[in-house]
Amino acid sequence: MSEHESMAGLLALAAAGALDAQQQRLLEKHARECPACRRELEIWSQYAQGLRRLPQPSVPSQLMERTRARVVQESVAAADRRWEAFTLGALALFAWTVGLTFWLVARIVTGGELVVMGANLVRFGTWSAGSTVLVWLTAAVAALALGRRRRELRRAL
Amino acid sequence: MILAAAMNPEAFSGAQDAITRLRRGDPDALTAMISRYQHRLYRYLLRLVREPAAADDLFQQTWLRVMEKIGRYDARRNFEAWLFSVAHNLAVDAWRGKRTESLDESADSREHASGGGAIGNTLRADDPDALERLLDFERGAALAASIQELPAIHREVLTLRFEEDMKLEEIAEVAGIPLSTVKSRLSRALDGLRAAMDKRFPGRKEA
Repeated sequence: MSEHESMAGLLALAAAGALDAQQQRLLEKHARECPACRRELEIWSQYAQGLRRLPQPSVPSQLMERTRARVVQESVAAADRRWEAFTLGALALFAWTVGLTFWLVARIVTGGELVVMGANLVRFGTWSAGSTVLVWLTAAVAALALGRRRRELRRAL
Repeated sequence: MILAAAMNPEAFSGAQDAITRLRRGDPDALTAMISRYQHRLYRYLLRLVREPAAADDLFQQTWLRVMEKIGRYDARRNFEAWLFSVAHNLAVDAWRGKRTESLDESADSREHASGGGAIGNTLRADDPDALERLLDFERGAALAASIQELPAIHREVLTLRFEEDMKLEEIAEVAGIPLSTVKSRLSRALDGLRAAMDKRFPGRKEA
């Protein structure tokens, strides 16, 4: 490839200011001696100038306000989701703590034996199974209530 | 003017302050940042997707994503490059979602995308520069229309380099490509643009 050909390949990038210092120097040196490349460089610089002065689009009406409203709405929804997750977690923890406390109290009061219909209710396995059922029931009721609240909030927004 | 504002230390410090407040979830900081970048971000998205409604939606999604990710934003990074890279990724995702759709739009949206409008309405008969301005506008409109014929990846590098005045490294960060790819895309985009202009105006060489 001749010097002219390799320099011609750099002309567009020169107009974009995308050459490194050495390439730029070589191109300028070549263009001083090559009228065809000088003319091409001039054309490319007109393209660059035109690209910097393109007709500008107008921003749609209320775009900023609409964006801000959408961000605020999404922030409220995200805060709600976080609060709901925290509430559900706290409820589950509370239920387990209450269950465990009652189990300990029940064991002390009953001396470790409270048989109902053949099952020892204060045995750890039986008690934890019962507690689990109660926790899940509580969580289901809470989830229903929170879901209802979320739908109401969404309607309000 | 935008570049001047970016170079102004007070403006830069104002932006940093707004970013800090944005991290704390300050709604006024959000308004300030949207206001600061709305023209540039919308223009970038419009050049990229060409469809005003899609650009509008992507603009909103970009700020939603910014609010989600601002806590993880590294303040040592260039905020503008980060913001535009968020917008770029959302545009790519949107494109993936509707790959089967045609990328050609109606003449109306092309006119809007190129910023075209009734320049004639703003020209007065007694304005001595009216003809020159009209010619400038026509040249600009032809160039903008030719850009619309280029692939999205080429439109993107052209707008980032020439309209946003981003450095090549910043363009690489926005588009998530190596520096060498930025250069080759720029070169191909300019060649494509010139070919489109030559087709539009056979015999005329300049832009």
